[in-house]
Amino acid sequence: MRLAILHETTYDYRPAVETAHHVAHLRPLQGPTQQLISHLLSLDPGPTDGQLSERIDAFGNNVTQWQLTQVHQRLRVRASSVVQTLTLPDAHDTAPWTSARELLAYRSGQASRPEAAFVFASHHAAPHADFADYARPDFGPDAPLQAAALALSARMHRELRYESQSTDVHTPARQALRMRRGVCQDFAHILLACLRSQGLAARYVSGYLLTQPPEGQARLIGSDASHAWVALWVPGQAQHASGGWLHLDPTNDRWGWGSPGEDYVQLASGRDFADVSPLRGVLQGGTSHHPVVAVTVTPQDEPA
Amino acid sequence: MTDATALPPADDDADAQAAMSWVQRHAAQPPEGHWDELRNRLAQAATPGLVGPPPAAAWEAWIRHTERLDPAALNERMRQLQDQVRDNGITYNVYAHAEQAQRPWALDLFPLLIDRQQWAHIEQGVRQRMRLLEGLMHDAYGAQDLVRRGLLPAALVHGHPGYLPAMHGVQPVGGAHLSVAAFDLARGPDGLWWMLAQRTQAPSGLGYLLENRIIISRLFPQAFERWPVQRLAASYQGLIDGLKARCPREAHETPHMALLTPGPYNETYFEHAYLARYLGLTLVQAEDLTVRGDRLYLKTLQGLQRVHALLKRVDDTWLDPLELRADSTLGVPGLLQAVRAGQVLVANTPGSGFLESNALLGFLPALAQDLLQEELMLPAIPSWWCGEAAAVPDALAQLPGGMVLPTYPAEGPCQSFEPVDGRQLHAQARADWAERIAQDGAAHTVQAWLPLSHQPVWQAGEGAHGQWQTRPVVLRVFALADAEGGWQVLPGGLARLGLPAGVASMQRGGSSADVWVQAESAERVARVSRLGTDVSAIDRPRAVTSRAAENLFWMGRYTERAEHALRLTRLMIEWLDGDAQTSPKLRQWLHALAQAHGLVQPQTPSPQASLRVFQRALVAGLTDLTHCTGVGFNLQALLNASAAVRERLSPEHWQLLNHTQQTLMAQAGPLDPGLALATLRQTSLGLAAITGAQTDRMTRDDGWRLLSLGRHIERIDALCRALLLALPDGLLRESAGFDAVLALFDSTISFHAQFQQSRTPQALVHLLVSSPDNPRSIAWVAQTLRARLRRLGHLADGATNALAEQVPPAQATLQLWPPEQVGHAEDLPLRHWLLAQQAGAGVVAERLSALFFSHSQSGTSVSL
Repeated sequence: MRLAILHETTYDYRPAVETAHHVAHLRPLQGPTQQLISHLLSLDPGPTDGQLSERIDAFGNNVTQWQLTQVHQRLRVRASSVVQTLTLPDAHDTAPWTSARELLAYRSGQASRPEAAFVFASHHAAPHADFADYARPDFGPDAPLQAAALALSARMHRELRYESQSTDVHTPARQALRMRRGVCQDFAHILLACLRSQGLAARYVSGYLLTQPPEGQARLIGSDASHAWVALWVPGQAQHASGGWLHLDPTNDRWGWGSPGEDYVQLASGRDFADVSPLRGVLQGGTSHHPVVAVTVTPQDEPA
Repeated sequence: MTDATALPPADDDADAQAAMSWVQRHAAQPPEGHWDELRNRLAQAATPGLVGPPPAAAWEAWIRHTERLDPAALNERMRQLQDQVRDNGITYNVYAHAEQAQRPWALDLFPLLIDRQQWAHIEQGVRQRMRLLEGLMHDAYGAQDLVRRGLLPAALVHGHPGYLPAMHGVQPVGGAHLSVAAFDLARGPDGLWWMLAQRTQAPSGLGYLLENRIIISRLFPQAFERWPVQRLAASYQGLIDGLKARCPREAHETPHMALLTPGPYNETYFEHAYLARYLGLTLVQAEDLTVRGDRLYLKTLQGLQRVHALLKRVDDTWLDPLELRADSTLGVPGLLQAVRAGQVLVANTPGSGFLESNALLGFLPALAQDLLQEELMLPAIPSWWCGEAAAVPDALAQLPGGMVLPTYPAEGPCQSFEPVDGRQLHAQARADWAERIAQDGAAHTVQAWLPLSHQPVWQAGEGAHGQWQTRPVVLRVFALADAEGGWQVLPGGLARLGLPAGVASMQRGGSSADVWVQAESAERVARVSRLGTDVSAIDRPRAVTSRAAENLFWMGRYTERAEHALRLTRLMIEWLDGDAQTSPKLRQWLHALAQAHGLVQPQTPSPQASLRVFQRALVAGLTDLTHCTGVGFNLQALLNASAAVRERLSPEHWQLLNHTQQTLMAQAGPLDPGLALATLRQTSLGLAAITGAQTDRMTRDDGWRLLSLGRHIERIDALCRALLLALPDGLLRESAGFDAVLALFDSTISFHAQFQQSRTPQALVHLLVSSPDNPRSIAWVAQTLRARLRRLGHLADGATNALAEQVPPAQATLQLWPPEQVGHAEDLPLRHWLLAQQAGAGVVAERLSALFFSHSQSGTSVSL
């Protein structure tokens, strides 16, 4: 599926900002389920030294950094991308989840897998007994990993309520779990913490999801939002084109190998939100109130 | 003082023998099972009535070379030591806005003595471990081969909050990631030194140990010269030379190096300021720095100046709010990018925190074999990381006689806890810990318990009494990168002494001791110490950071405000006294001034309404920091501003500030006016001395000029205000009013010298407004203000030259006091001139802030 994404963020500053440093994860990933056809990041005002500095971070994400050292009252960041998404052959893994845990655990002198880096606690998915307790019903002693993870994700979808504005970026996952509600970011962090509580390797994926307008209505520009879900490493499928990463979207109860589906776009992935936040900045001189974010995902074969 | 070398030899045999026998008979022995530093042997159960063995060679030499070794002389030295600590203002643990003042640094009299053979072993062992840690950094931020091959658990690298993925792929700037590291060693019952821990993020001690050395070496000059003791200066010089040689810079640039501190509220801020001064580094806080392009710059009065090397005392995760903790105000946005770009040498490269884990020690022997193909020379205290299932049974077996330590630091997402002494646990508590370990093994490390060696300490008593006691000791030594790409071990260290039965830690009420390392020969000491005299000479013209400039400016303003408030309060108490000649007009004027300056709470009745209530309010307002802006308030504000630029103040100056503020605040509470006046006289003397220190003892750079500008701006404002309030109603025609105004302007003596008995308002106004001879006249103050502004003309494209126009001189034609207009003060040309001067001073203050200080604020983070 060919998808065009327009992700526009506008900050209004009162008072004006004197200097600002920004870092963005807005350039979509290139991978087995996604080809990046085109990408353009434009800023208004443009970076002071005219430079966008690009690099690839430790998790393989595209990172863009820039500085603004002239006084500005407004900043508009516009990321415009086109990607081709693909689906991978399906796989069905029946290995018990405990063998994945064993494989990821440290044994003196035995080679370890790089995926083990995603077993550990991270700031937004801090460990707590609540997560292990919540996961336990699906992780019986002999449960197959894939089935257990899908069951957990589906149960989250049933038991937790998606409620926009119910939390913000600072709400701990544990609190969202207790309230049994949150936004996609909370769903992802809760699932991450549950899986890691079992000694499994899981990463946070940030991206977009194509939403369908109600029957008979036109697609509204800017009505979409950034999305987030989880990728779990399934060692038995390490040779699969996905590298063994099973993507789980508990918010929508969708899943798939390498991606939850053709209608998903991947921006970046890391240990949690902090590694991949689409746009981050440190301002001097002014303060930002509520930035306005508009995301539009459009299938390319559909008239805009 | 007598020159120590000119004294007759101290080892007069009879005296030395007596001293030896005194120590042998009276020095306490450590508890059984601990190494005895004094006797250099394992302490055994003492047999009552039997004298212990004599002091070992090192201590024998020390005793032989120490003049007057008796309780009275040791008590006297202890007193000198405490005076020195107080006079030098050495403190630890400064609490933000705390009622408790800073805690004086705790230092014991006797040094820890380390002979040549022991030191050679420690030195080699520490250098070897430094090479190993550098290798670990290299691998963790590069190939990650060690984790992949299972030599190092991922949990101790990727799972450790001190490991920063943002730094992955970083090349060591200047050839090495680690420039400074601290190693904690302890001597076991076998007399060997064991490695306990290593600190790489922001180790403290390099400044404190130098202060310890300066104080202790002076108290025992002969022993220090004769042993002889290795000098330290060359090591500090080596560190600076190393940073200078290794930092990235353009060919034409002189390296600019800075020390990054979290600020005055940090527990070891004293040391940051001290080290910066000693090493000739600019002391900076995060808001002093900015990243432009990929380079790091210092915001100074002269504009942005590039910083090539940064010695940091801020923990890693706080260093860059853009990529690390977004809530950090202690970091510089973009700093990590500058490091990755190789444009600044940060000592140490951010991301070394994982090397500090208690769990790492157990893996180091195998890693040394693999990376260096060497056996580790210094053994480490045995430890078991519980994250590997196979190691847990061994670890649990050690629990009853060992310690449970956290693998991870308290700050971060991983479980952490206070260390637990397994020997103190009941069976049930031990079982609970075993269960905790079973739940989350990776977060726990079990360590064998090492009985620490004991160091003799002098416990001073009354008069000529005192005791030789012992304390457990941990030795912190430092490895410092040199210019040749290797590491040197500073020949000395910081000895930390615990409570008799406890763990050695400065945070838990422990103490410290100097560390003497025996030199090869006296000749070598001489050569090295000559080399070292350069250290303080590298003091180059110091950059004035925008933040320092702002604090200096406010120091000036608060000093002036404090002085003015003090003079006003004092005069009011005197004049409003029952006996004094006051008129309604004078009382009204005083009331208006008290309100204008916030000396009393706003709702306080006027002295006309109730003299007693007003007086009480005035006295209460002195120390009321919440509702008033009087003397106490301004002294506190002065102290806060001064704390932020402490490295620019002499120890005496700093002491004066504290002493003056404390003297006043000690009087808080109900006071009768007489007592209040006595306190104010004391405070006034303190402020006069502070003014003296500002005038005579501070470097007259652009920062000082801002301090002076701050004072003059406030003086103009206060004088204009007082005169404006005095103009109407003919106050100046009354004798009492006349005297009061003169006194407030501190010009009584000038007036009598110039005009003798001609008490006309014309003469008064001339003296206070336009006199070229009275340093308290407004015209004089304005003239100084203009001159200082012009001296800053080389900054900001000469913007301050134009600012001088804001406070113009009084025109010769200005009619100061036309008698026919007395009844209409509103129309006086003088009134307009005063208002214009006052407004002009305000504009100068605002413009100076906008020109020089606006960039000294910290940023806010936004995230989506």
